[in-house]
Amino acid sequence: MKSIPKLIRRFVGIMMLSIIILVILNVAFYWIAFVRNTSVFSPWDMARQTADALQLTDKGFLLADDMAVQIKEQDAWAVLIDDDTREVVWHTNTMPDNIPVQYTLSDIAELTRGYVDGYPTFTAGAPKGLLVLGYPRDSFWKHTRASWDYDFIADLPRNAIIILAVNTMLIFLIYAAANSKLLHSVKPVTNGIQDLSSGCPVCIKEEGVFAELAEKINKTSEILQEQTKQLRKKETARANWIAGVSHDIRTPLSMIMGYADQLANANHWSEAERKKAAVIVRQSKRMKDLINDLNLASRLEYDMQPLAIKRENAVSIVRQVVVEFMNTDITGQFPIEWRTADTLSACYIDADKDLLKRAIANLIQNSIHHNERGCVIYASVADHGNTCRICIEDNGRGVSDEQIDSLDNAPHYMACDTNTTEQQHGLGLLIVKQIIKGHKGKVAIGHSEYGGLKTVLTIPK
Amino acid sequence: MNDGYLLHKRILLVDDEPELLHMVFTILTEYGFQNVKTAKSVKQALEEIEKSRPELAILDVMLPDGNGFDLLKQLKKNDDYPVLFLTARGEDDDKFKGFGVGADDYIIKPFLPREFMFRVMAILRRSYKDENPLVQLRDSRIDFSRAEVIKNDKHIPLTAKEYELLSALYRHAGRIVTIDALCEAAWGDNPFGYENSLMAHIRRIREKIELNPSQPVSLVTVRGLGYKLMTEGK
Repeated sequence: MKSIPKLIRRFVGIMMLSIIILVILNVAFYWIAFVRNTSVFSPWDMARQTADALQLTDKGFLLADDMAVQIKEQDAWAVLIDDDTREVVWHTNTMPDNIPVQYTLSDIAELTRGYVDGYPTFTAGAPKGLLVLGYPRDSFWKHTRASWDYDFIADLPRNAIIILAVNTMLIFLIYAAANSKLLHSVKPVTNGIQDLSSGCPVCIKEEGVFAELAEKINKTSEILQEQTKQLRKKETARANWIAGVSHDIRTPLSMIMGYADQLANANHWSEAERKKAAVIVRQSKRMKDLINDLNLASRLEYDMQPLAIKRENAVSIVRQVVVEFMNTDITGQFPIEWRTADTLSACYIDADKDLLKRAIANLIQNSIHHNERGCVIYASVADHGNTCRICIEDNGRGVSDEQIDSLDNAPHYMACDTNTTEQQHGLGLLIVKQIIKGHKGKVAIGHSEYGGLKTVLTIPK
Repeated sequence: MNDGYLLHKRILLVDDEPELLHMVFTILTEYGFQNVKTAKSVKQALEEIEKSRPELAILDVMLPDGNGFDLLKQLKKNDDYPVLFLTARGEDDDKFKGFGVGADDYIIKPFLPREFMFRVMAILRRSYKDENPLVQLRDSRIDFSRAEVIKNDKHIPLTAKEYELLSALYRHAGRIVTIDALCEAAWGDNPFGYENSLMAHIRRIREKIELNPSQPVSLVTVRGLGYKLMTEGK
């Protein structure tokens, strides 16, 4: 199941991307919400500016007007505590009443770090004293005890990375735990779909998250199996029908052929009558070949004839077929010339001997059928390195280029599902093509240098 | 080839089709066979076997009360004579089954009478050797019983390989026997790579049977394909 690791990779990718985007968004938000705001306004800076704006004149301490206005706008107040007496020597008008006017050292330490009577206070050194700037209650939150271990701050970058890594690991673990069950229940479903595509029957347990999906897949599988079964049944019925018809024709044809042959050789008959009988014999033989071809072609077409492939010597196979024809050619009308190089005694290929013999016999038979007045047939086997080439040709009347094109391209009626008039007839060549296809080879039809038809079978070694 | 002695053999013909039965009967009798019996069913066939003890049975596979395969098994139980199937069942599986149960040949209908007779004679020749099998060639005679050639009144012995090769050629006298078939006859199941040895043996056989071995008339070469033994009177 290749898609599960892919699913995990995709999920992890999305998660990593989400984490990165979230971090960026958070940093941006933090920067916008806090850093930018605090950089614009800081109460400590305000205290510093107030201290700078306070001047000692003859009439006492005097605050610059613009500063006084700013303090008032912010509802803040300011006091100046004298360095020596630790008394309030100046204050703004806005100072609340309950602010003490006398301070001890510990009061000063306290207000520097925190609050005076709940008012957050910020300090700055001023001439002759300490300027304290106070803001309304609950307007600032101050770290009154802010201090960290030195190592904690020093190791902060490393710790941050570790924390991030641990968090990521945790997320993975949570993902794995949460999704292993999901993936566990996805697996049979995906396996089922894969089996469906390869045509195997599927039966998935209908449980878990994908129970409904599993049910649908099971149902689809049932439908597909049923359809395949029906198709197979039809094909078997058709092949059996053809086998049955050809079987039933054989016995009556035996009698036609047998008696016609006897008549063709009966001495008390005239030459003309014997010739007529000979025609019946010849045509009966054609019918016999046709029945044999029809049966084999339908079996090959519907995959009912498995190939029994073995290592075979092609030279020996072709030689055997040629000799069988030569031994039965009593009239001598169809001499066969063996054109294989004398040096080639063997050319080994993976082949079904009987079927290959049938293919070669069909080619020779083709030459015989199409040249009623006789012709010379040439047979050869050649070793071409990775392939073995078997060539059957004749010096007969041959075929036109259009016919060759039609033989190469037009569909055969055995394998044609349309009503085109361009269908091929004659089963001999169809069987040759089917057999050679089963051997992963090629059939090439063309003109022979001897003037007739040439067929080359190229079979891988 | 003198096959006259074979024409006395008793033949049983079993087929449920009366007209075909009659046709095959006439083919056999016209060829010269004198003892041909017919049966239309397994039952009749078994009765006929009891009566006439055939020496060759020609069976159809599909019979009204059984099938030829089972009938053959029954025949082979009691006696061992050659059996030939003559049937319309042309599938390879049927053919293999036929040979599997011990048939000597399997002929698929329709058939030419000449081919049928050739195969019947080939089986009989294989099964019943002539008591005096002298084969007449143009320039000599072969005596298979003594494994020798008689040329110009001289008796020339044949070696084992020469005998095997001549027997194979004689079984198909007048027809081409392929190089592969001859190698198989002489060297067994894995006959590849013996072509040169075969040529040497053929040369030696020619020296024994031909008057002029360089221009053979009885053992003829068919270039690239095989050899043919020409007997006199065939």
